[in-house]
Amino acid sequence: MEKKEFKSDVDFTVRIGGEGGDGVISCGELFAKAAARTEFHVFTYITYPAEMRGGFSMIQIRVRDWTIYSMGSEVDYLVVFNQEAYDNTISDLKKGGMIIYDPDAVEVDESLDAVFFPVQLTKLANEATGYDLGKNVVALGMLGSLFNISKSVLQKLIKDRYGSKGTSVIEKNMSALEKGYVEGEKQSIEKKFHLKTENEKPTYMMLSGNEAVALGAIAAGCRFVAGYPITPATPIFETLTKLMPKVGGRAIQMEDEIASISALIGASFAGEKVITPTSGPGLQLMGEQLNLASMLELPMVIVDVQRGGPSTGLPTKTEQSDLKFAIYGTAGESPRCILAPTSVEDCFYQTIRAFNIAEKYQMPVILLTDQSIGYRKATVKIPDFSHIVEIFKDNVLRSSLIPSAERMEIVTRVIPEKEELEGYKRFKFTETGVSPVSVPGMEGGQYVATGLAHNEVGKADYSPKNHLEMTRKRFKKLKYLSKAFDQNPPEFYGSVDSEIGIIGWGSTEGAIREARYLAEEKGIMVRHLHPKEISPLPEKQIRHFLVGLKQIIVVEENYTGQFAHFIKAKFGVHPIELHKCEGSPISSREIMAVIEKVARITDEEHITEL
Amino acid sequence: MKNTSQNYKSAIKPVWCPGCGNYAILKSLQKALSELEIEPENIVTVSGIGCSGRFSHYMNTYSLHGTHGRAVPTALGAKAARPDLTVLCVGGDGDGLGIGGGHIPHAARKNVDLTYILIDNRIYGLTKGQSSPTTPIDKRTKTSPYGVYEEPLNAIAMLLAYDTSFIARISSLQMKEMVEILKEAINHKGFSVINVMSPCVTFPVLGYDTVRDLIKPIPENHDPSDKLKAMQLAYDDTKLYTGIFYKVQKPTLEDNLNKQIEDAVSVEDNQKVTVEELLEKYV
Repeated sequence: MEKKEFKSDVDFTVRIGGEGGDGVISCGELFAKAAARTEFHVFTYITYPAEMRGGFSMIQIRVRDWTIYSMGSEVDYLVVFNQEAYDNTISDLKKGGMIIYDPDAVEVDESLDAVFFPVQLTKLANEATGYDLGKNVVALGMLGSLFNISKSVLQKLIKDRYGSKGTSVIEKNMSALEKGYVEGEKQSIEKKFHLKTENEKPTYMMLSGNEAVALGAIAAGCRFVAGYPITPATPIFETLTKLMPKVGGRAIQMEDEIASISALIGASFAGEKVITPTSGPGLQLMGEQLNLASMLELPMVIVDVQRGGPSTGLPTKTEQSDLKFAIYGTAGESPRCILAPTSVEDCFYQTIRAFNIAEKYQMPVILLTDQSIGYRKATVKIPDFSHIVEIFKDNVLRSSLIPSAERMEIVTRVIPEKEELEGYKRFKFTETGVSPVSVPGMEGGQYVATGLAHNEVGKADYSPKNHLEMTRKRFKKLKYLSKAFDQNPPEFYGSVDSEIGIIGWGSTEGAIREARYLAEEKGIMVRHLHPKEISPLPEKQIRHFLVGLKQIIVVEENYTGQFAHFIKAKFGVHPIELHKCEGSPISSREIMAVIEKVARITDEEHITEL
Repeated sequence: MKNTSQNYKSAIKPVWCPGCGNYAILKSLQKALSELEIEPENIVTVSGIGCSGRFSHYMNTYSLHGTHGRAVPTALGAKAARPDLTVLCVGGDGDGLGIGGGHIPHAARKNVDLTYILIDNRIYGLTKGQSSPTTPIDKRTKTSPYGVYEEPLNAIAMLLAYDTSFIARISSLQMKEMVEILKEAINHKGFSVINVMSPCVTFPVLGYDTVRDLIKPIPENHDPSDKLKAMQLAYDDTKLYTGIFYKVQKPTLEDNLNKQIEDAVSVEDNQKVTVEELLEKYV
């Protein structure tokens, strides 16, 4: 079954590269949107220059008839607007791949094994619009023709995107699009893939990871966001500020990250489901209030779209280096939950899960995504709204359902019953550590929530016994959460007979999965574990995964091997660590190379045993 | 049952030093709330860190004793999320003008409808006598053994510069007036700040005598919309004027957020967009 997934009839990658202001990204996004209206899956990956304008930027789109797990290693179709884009990307072109380029701007190496497709993009744009601008739309028309996309689909997408800029802009774009189509038809090139739209009822949204988080928050019932702009998390905040009023919610931009999370504490205390999007440097500033939220046992979701660090680091590049800060950062020991979505679609569903956990266990949940997942666009299945269960009082803490398109639950924090308000104990010791929480407006529910060590009613209490009991109470919730995670079906893939295990977290899931397929093609059996629950870890599941493995590889995008440290400390294993710390996502080829090396070591051990 | 001050008292006994100016503020606030007949369950009290931080423990409201300097944005979040609540915020000169000083202009810009009691004793009392942003120049404290060399901040002048929509000053020696000013501040739609000069008996940088000597009511003919005149009164360092310096009406944060919702909803035929409809727009 999984083998078949790897063998696709439709699977190709288009990369468009050019100057920062060339409209490269919008060209690629419109193409991706058109492709997403077919029955195929679409996945995009973008790199922007950090500068406002200028510098090399590119977008890569992969289209496939099965779920796509990574951006792919090689490019089938390369569209380049200038020499820099050509020079930077030509080495990734697949043998026999196609290169579409502007012969007035790009000099190509004709000895390459490639199909050359010269188009005077700038000249044609000038003819259509009177400006150099618009060459991206000419290129879009060409791609439309090349993949048999209905012209009406692209026309509608252009109208949706540029509609607010007035009719003259639309008209110019339409004639640029027309030019592209005409030019495409002129060339007699074999059309390998057809992206004609068949069915009308949409099953997919086309979202970036950042948009998926924003929409997931709204789907989870969140109606309050406070934030501060920071690359690469800003699009989550922008999307939420735009959407909140439409669903009756409130969005506020604060003066800094400390104020943002402070506003979250106030709003959560007042009973709302709340979120703040940020990146590493912002999370760091939020430390003190994250601590307070844990101490006050207030639900909240913090999204850290990780970028390259330390300090200002690589604001527009990806890295998985905030893990330890997310788990352990802040003074004292304050429990919180860390989830790491593995794909764009997962961003949507894990965000809903993050809210459910925050509300159910009354603690902050940090969602760790990263730049590569945040800026990537992919198809996300629209959830089935007839299968959403709303739970308002769930103090049973039974296994927590992983939300999916087929079935999900929306959880809201447990409030005290009328009789519990008599001599109300906000921080009552319970079996699970979770105590019913009153919200303002509830008569008799008044209490003081203090960051000082406090007793069951909330009164400051520094006695040794109370401190221990209260710490235990807060950590009990984490223990129950870990138990709930262990109830979920195992999340590892590959043969149970494998001697090589590979563990990753977050956005590397797709690359590792594809590396496993590559390995299996070569007869190397690999078992892959990719927990979405980073803290607490589903310990039972991991122990089960580790049984029988001779070698374990831990893959992550940082320098020091943060997740590997965690795995080593918890399970006493000695993994081989594969780190990538270059600001770009790790590819399946890079992982495969290591798997092969490890396989050789394991083989040699077998020989010694013989 | 008619609300009395008693209804706003929590079961926790204050730990302030006997004679602390904070007792008068606590009593005045509880009296003001009972006279305004706001139900305790509809009030949120947020306080920061310091002697004044303990305020929330002593109020029978939904009370939040948070971190140092973050009381104002925390209170702002509560009010923005739940405009139906009465939100109070309490902090000292260290909390509000030192560590949390950066938040005040933004609360003023947003004009969030909450009442901020900025208590000033010109010293860090809870940590036992270090200089604060309002400690007078040359004053020797535990962290200024050779005398403070920084100029003290002028809270009223700062608040005026931020265009805070309600600015008043009172002292712990004037309970009767304080009750009235608190009532007016709570009734004011917008960010209302009351700077309360409150003597510390243990580290008496600001002693009762000093307060008694310096306080003087703002002239009765002062027009509270006259910002320049208010600024003049604020900068008169021979006196500590008490009363309402400045008061103007402008849209509040809640007004603006509600308007966003109303506008968005009116575009969609006076219906909130359902989550399902929202997702379909991303197809």
